[in-house]
Amino acid sequence: MEHFEIQNLTFSYPTAKGKPSLQNINLTIGQGEYVVLCGKSGSGKTTLLRHLKPVLTPHGKRSGEIRFLGTPIEAVNQRDQAAKIGFVMQNPDDQIVTDKVWHELAFGLESLGCDQKTMRARVAEMACYFGIQDWFHREVAELSGGQKQLLNLASIMAMRPEVLILDEPTSQLDPIAASDFLNTVRKINAELGTTVVITEHRLEDIFPYADHAVVMDGGRVIADDMPHKIGKLLHEQRNDMFAAMPTPVRVFYEAGGEGKCPLTVRDGRNWLNSIFPEAPRVSALPAQLPDEEVKDPALSLKELWFRYEKDSPDILRGVSAQIPRGSLYAVVGGNGAGKSTVLKNICGICRPYRGKIKVFGKPIEKYKSAELFRNCLAMLPQDPKSLFVKKTVREELEEMSRDTGKIQETAELCQITPLLDSHPYDLSGGEQQRAALAKVLLTEPKLLLLDEPTKGIDSFFKETFAAILSQLKNRGVTIVMVSHDVEFCARYADLVSMFFDGQILTTDTPRRFFSANSFYTTAANRMSRCVFQNAVTAEDVVGLCRQNMEG
Amino acid sequence: MSAALPGNAMGSDAFSGCHPAVNFVFFLGAIGFGVVILHPAYLLAGAVGAAAYYLLLHGKKGWKMIFGLFPLFLVLTAINPLLNTQGQTIFFRVFGRPYTAEALLYGAMIAGIFVVTLLWFGCYHAVMTSDKFTSLFGNWALSLMLVMVLRLIPNLLRKARQIAGARRSVGRGAGEQNGNREKLTEGMTVLSVLISWALEGGVGTADSMRSRGYGVAKRTSFQIYRMTPLDRGLLAVILFLAAAVLATAITGGASAVFIPAFSIAPISGLHALGFAAYCCYLLIPTVLHIKEAIQWSISRSRI
Repeated sequence: MEHFEIQNLTFSYPTAKGKPSLQNINLTIGQGEYVVLCGKSGSGKTTLLRHLKPVLTPHGKRSGEIRFLGTPIEAVNQRDQAAKIGFVMQNPDDQIVTDKVWHELAFGLESLGCDQKTMRARVAEMACYFGIQDWFHREVAELSGGQKQLLNLASIMAMRPEVLILDEPTSQLDPIAASDFLNTVRKINAELGTTVVITEHRLEDIFPYADHAVVMDGGRVIADDMPHKIGKLLHEQRNDMFAAMPTPVRVFYEAGGEGKCPLTVRDGRNWLNSIFPEAPRVSALPAQLPDEEVKDPALSLKELWFRYEKDSPDILRGVSAQIPRGSLYAVVGGNGAGKSTVLKNICGICRPYRGKIKVFGKPIEKYKSAELFRNCLAMLPQDPKSLFVKKTVREELEEMSRDTGKIQETAELCQITPLLDSHPYDLSGGEQQRAALAKVLLTEPKLLLLDEPTKGIDSFFKETFAAILSQLKNRGVTIVMVSHDVEFCARYADLVSMFFDGQILTTDTPRRFFSANSFYTTAANRMSRCVFQNAVTAEDVVGLCRQNMEG
Repeated sequence: MSAALPGNAMGSDAFSGCHPAVNFVFFLGAIGFGVVILHPAYLLAGAVGAAAYYLLLHGKKGWKMIFGLFPLFLVLTAINPLLNTQGQTIFFRVFGRPYTAEALLYGAMIAGIFVVTLLWFGCYHAVMTSDKFTSLFGNWALSLMLVMVLRLIPNLLRKARQIAGARRSVGRGAGEQNGNREKLTEGMTVLSVLISWALEGGVGTADSMRSRGYGVAKRTSFQIYRMTPLDRGLLAVILFLAAAVLATAITGGASAVFIPAFSIAPISGLHALGFAAYCCYLLIPTVLHIKEAIQWSISRSRI
């Protein structure tokens, strides 16, 4: 029997004035399947997922039918739907109810009224399966984001659900934690046969393993097929979602490949090898050398040393960098390495105990706070929400500037004009990011600091965001960005630095930087390095393929 | 001992590893007797017991606290005769009011009780962590609420810092050069955001609770602490000693009157046994701690 059968589901929110959020959805999800749901933000993915669990289903006008194991889903009793349908949400923090790891693991079982013996066995089992034993007695507050989300997953698995629904579970995690999390989900699907329905922006980690992929757009299902066929469909339709496909898929179709589409880097590599059995005519892209010496840098850091407390270890251990004016400078590196701390030091939230920071040639101590943050320096924090303090986006912008003309212009630049009267909390992640950016830009900074600007944003919004950054660059704004997003840095940055062990180790132009690495590099580079040199983005690889094929 | 050994400044502590019920009953007795019994010998025993255990729990930092309590003790002692002028032995007069030995000693007793209670609470805080407390009274709906509030407070503080940092890095927010008025407005702004943030997070938490079956059945509570035979034995000893102290106190063996004249019950005969029981009672955590330390050093020396 199928786990879920959705027939002609149409749904509209009461506030939407008749515009349905879901239209004529027909979908079947079989037992033990791994289903990926993809689509732009606002395409109705979350609304659809929430229909699969009655307690979370939003209020509104609905028609059509959803059956869970043959019974209409409204008729499934409370206990069964709590235990059998597990739901993991986006924000790792909000989902946690209690203050201790062990208590959180037991929460669902406590709610179901399990006896001590069963609870003990199940909690122990889950702690072992998820590798939680070592932090079993810890406070939840001490955990990292990745650990918190893993705990959420484990506490749901303790109830032994038959279906696991995950709504962008890794959008708040760094790539390594995200990849770990998604591997665990895959392991659950493969080893326990639990049905998995997941929405994700990070398709590279899940697309190859999915049984089928469902693409949504504007509340409709526009494609529902095996993953390797989805790319072709989207490419033919020239759909925006094509940009979200894993790199091998994009390269394959853009370069006009034929046959079975490669989904993983390995398959992509094999495919490239098969079309270029001999070394191709044009095998390398030109790679610019970075300037030896930066004249008149926008920002110069010299031997910064910093620690949070007197007895704590040093976070920054001699950070030095020269950032040329008008460039987009990206700092990449591991999690918790101290990249964000560098930014905090630059904008004066923390003070280094040794070293010099010069902003536009002037030592930072010489600036008065008002002078520094007006027309000079501003930072977009990692969580854009922490900048919002008003009821509408318009009021947010008015807090920063009284000049309505300027507000209009900035709103236009950041493409938030239609959102001006919304509450900032009602916006999607990408929209919040742009609203926060608009707020920051109203201080008219010449040096803009960005902390993980692409976290939790889908690939479509990333392109919009990159376009805004390049406009700013044209106006002469210098941008320093700290990021985990290797693909984004490779495509848009002018200079990339590696941060490790409290220092900036190497700095180079993206092509030279990423093609010198073999692990810490983009999927396009890993896939193409057997044939091409210096190709770091999908566009690079496609360009080279075309050049060689034409000739 | 039960499964959990919560960490404290000195690493593992045997008494902290006991079942929360044992911990709770002990502190109830220690603090309860300490406040009710007004007898110098009992107070002295209490001070020794509390200080010894406090030092074992907090290590070197414990001395700081104990030395810090001395001035408090002296000040409280000296103040009492100024307010209370009763008593027979007059030392001198302050603004015409008698400053008496009885009132001074009574003040010392009250100050002593205050200081000893503070020390016991210091120990209580280190031993009875919030999860132990809620696991003891875990069947109340209130206890889940308590757990959630305990989680909310540090979360809000962290977010407040995050918001303040974010605002400072765009040149808003209160800096050193701002006046009090700006600081106040800024504080209100941050507070109002925190409330909306908490409400929004609350919606997520409520969803998460409902999706994990909250309210579906009568809740049970997962007991992470197991009552071992040792815990039961210890509980029996605690209750027996407490009963002995209680019997002594009821029969007047621990009574003391300071004002208007001294009348302190002598510690003799059966009542001496009651006092001995009190001493034993207070030393339970200290003895357990030392016993374990010795056991460890012996087993280590055998390796």
